[in-house]
Amino acid sequence: MFTAIGRNTFSFLGYAGEVAQLFRDTVISMFVAPIRWRLAFQQIVEIGARSQLVVIVTGAFTGAVFAAQLFFQLRGFGMESTVGSVTAVAMFRELAPALTGLMVAGRVGAAIAAEIGTMKVTEQIDALRSLGVHPTDYLVVPRTIAMMISMPLLVGEACMLSLISAYLVSVPLLGVSEPHYLRNLYQWVTLFDVYKALIKGFLFGIIIVFVASHEGLKTTNGAAGVGKAPTEAVVISSLAILAANFILTFLLNIFLPAGSS
Amino acid sequence: MIETRDLSKSFGPVQVLRSVSFSLHDGETLVVMGRSGCGKSVVLKHLIGLMKPDSGDVLVDGESIVGLPERKLTDVRRKIGMLFQSAALFDSMSVGENLAFPLREQGVHDEKEINTRIAEALEMVDLPGEEEKMPADLSGGMRKRVGLARTIIGRPRVILYDEPTTGLDPVTSDSINHLIRRLQRRLRVTSIVVTHDMKTAFHCADRVTFLHEGRAHFTGPIAEFRDSTDPVLADFIQGRSGDTD
Ligand SMILES: Nc1ncnc2c1ncn2[C@@H]1O[C@H](COP(=O)(O)OP(=O)(O)O)[C@@H](O)[C@H]1O
Ligand SMILES: [Mg+2]
Repeated sequence: MFTAIGRNTFSFLGYAGEVAQLFRDTVISMFVAPIRWRLAFQQIVEIGARSQLVVIVTGAFTGAVFAAQLFFQLRGFGMESTVGSVTAVAMFRELAPALTGLMVAGRVGAAIAAEIGTMKVTEQIDALRSLGVHPTDYLVVPRTIAMMISMPLLVGEACMLSLISAYLVSVPLLGVSEPHYLRNLYQWVTLFDVYKALIKGFLFGIIIVFVASHEGLKTTNGAAGVGKAPTEAVVISSLAILAANFILTFLLNIFLPAGSS
Repeated sequence: MIETRDLSKSFGPVQVLRSVSFSLHDGETLVVMGRSGCGKSVVLKHLIGLMKPDSGDVLVDGESIVGLPERKLTDVRRKIGMLFQSAALFDSMSVGENLAFPLREQGVHDEKEINTRIAEALEMVDLPGEEEKMPADLSGGMRKRVGLARTIIGRPRVILYDEPTTGLDPVTSDSINHLIRRLQRRLRVTSIVVTHDMKTAFHCADRVTFLHEGRAHFTGPIAEFRDSTDPVLADFIQGRSGDTD
């Protein structure tokens, strides 16, 4: 039992160490090697385009059901005009970043691991190296930059859609009074909540890109390995996002306290 | 030019290279032969630092490359071109983009020059006008030749060929043999050719190294290799497995 825990702790630390190593290589690469902006823009398009649908649907429907549930619960207390502000706070601080992170891990993380993994087992990465190109410069840095730019935008998009859907569900559909709804929203939702959403999105993007790239780069065993890499990338980055989200909620509350602005 | 000293390499429990030593002189062509799986590709990968030996040394122009970090290997790799056994074309790029890649990395940005050199390189491997094709649409032999074109387009001083004619029809093989010879004669390229093909060996070799059980079992002139009475070499040359029906 304890040896099992010990072994798992060790392998977790070992894995975290390997990902940290890739992170360090990437930071070094950004300083010592010219950044390939063309590839980075291509990746922004890929990541952005690939994620539009899931982010829109996730943001809109989560906002809508959250608002509806709140309405049913709060109506009894006559507090239904707070539906918008509570939904927005919950979405901005927690749900939008975490759900967007999980969705992007599933789409983009899997794709990154599969792409890089395929290149690894078909010797394309060795071919890059043989032509004097560092795989981190060529593959990881552009994806990292793309993710750092795309994830906050995607999270922001999910937040916007949840605001809109919560409004549509509450005001036109369930008949909450519009002026009260909006007054509560302006009063309780601050710029800090938006910052929290964007910071979390940014950090989750970093988790996804490094876990997925690492899974791709360590792929061995031909086609079987390429089949495993995306699954591992999605599972590991999703778990890491959930754990990081918990820690970040506490940390961000120290630096950007809730309720102030 | 290139020298290996007592190279050894294991993958897990399997020791593939025990002690491989040979040297490659300026301007010569060394043919490396040996049974499948004896570690020929592994040796080539050590010569440009794609793999690190467990022990032993690799010297390029007299300097050890074994301890060099990845970024310091760039200079060595620009001197040495490698044709991979699998061709290792970039799947996401067309044939033309594959060939433009080494040129752009070397800092050639003049599109006209790039296009001329791509056309030239494709001409040399008998694939003129195939720039637009994607690697997935090529046959195995065509991929190999595009890989060869990508290797030679940057005009390296040394070329490592990993089974350049395996899987090609006899006529194409013959034209690749002539191409290797031409590069060697006209451009004074130094080369290592890994092959099972006796015709290639006789056509190109100045010397032959035969890998066996993780060592350079034989190194010497091709004539001596052909006439050797060593049972290991004789069996290989005559294709005898020792099995009976
Ligand atoms: N990256 C690797 N990981 C594990 N084993 C490898 C690797 N590369 C080669 N090998 C093993 O080393 C041996 C020699 O391979 P190779 O050099 O490709 O043989 P060949 O002489 O046919 O080119 C084989 O048994 C192969 O399985
Ligand atoms: Mg081989």
